[in-house]
Amino acid sequence: MRYVKWGFWALVAIFVALFLSYNLPRHDIVRVVGTEVRRVDFGENSMFWASADVGSASGTSRDVRFINTVRPNGKTLVFRNEDTGWGWPPYFKLDSSDLQAQAESLISTKADPIWVSITRYGWRSRWLTIFPNAVGLKQVSGPDVRIIPWANIIILTLLVLLILTIRAMWRQFRQRSIDPLFDDASEAWDGAEERANGWFNKLFGRKR
Amino acid sequence: MFGFVRLAIFGFIGLSVIFVLVRIYARSLRREALEDAWAEARSGDALYQTQEAYVAEGMRAYDKSLRRKLIWLVYVVPTVLVVAVIYLMNYT
Repeated sequence: MRYVKWGFWALVAIFVALFLSYNLPRHDIVRVVGTEVRRVDFGENSMFWASADVGSASGTSRDVRFINTVRPNGKTLVFRNEDTGWGWPPYFKLDSSDLQAQAESLISTKADPIWVSITRYGWRSRWLTIFPNAVGLKQVSGPDVRIIPWANIIILTLLVLLILTIRAMWRQFRQRSIDPLFDDASEAWDGAEERANGWFNKLFGRKR
Repeated sequence: MFGFVRLAIFGFIGLSVIFVLVRIYARSLRREALEDAWAEARSGDALYQTQEAYVAEGMRAYDKSLRRKLIWLVYVVPTVLVVAVIYLMNYT
């Protein structure tokens, strides 16, 4: 039972880590080498693409804006540039066209590079053909500039506070509303309750 | 526009659930604090009242308090956050 418990929590931890890794904003310092729009037919990777631009109809095939970039170490990094609109993740990005224009205005050559910091969420996977979604773009002085991830600091702090609050609420509820019920019941009930709660407590319970 | 309406409706439902839960939680905390205050009282009104009366009086005062009204921030803060994110993402 102990391994089941560990396994369960390990799975939860992995799932949460993947979820945060995909959805939280991150920064890449890159040089924009070009932008393009190309038609994409979504298949099994459709959940890694946003929906159609706000105000337009949705389908299984659509033109998507891309920003092609090169990192300081010479490796390429391709971003998609899609509206997130009112859906998930909640970036409320409605200005893909403007971002595309901004990216175009910052195209530079290897000889005379303009470095930009692209804020993005999502992963690049060649196997799934998925691209991180660029949500913001800012010119920076050089490839070594240090960027403090304020958004992540704030979001993660709020998340920890939220979890602690839920925990406190649950404990209060348990202490004030559930425990008194069992205190009143006769002793004959204790055995039955113990058995019924056994598997639940082993999975979620605190050590007594 | 449909997406916005959907967000507004589900957001409102979600926040309402949180609002009710927070209200119950805050009330429970206040009641517990009053019970403890009565049990530990060495002077004052609490000595001449039953615990029930003391707690009931305290809860009546709580129902009118600013603290309880502050729970409406559950609706206000996320809305302000969303507006702030929309502004930061699209207009700066």
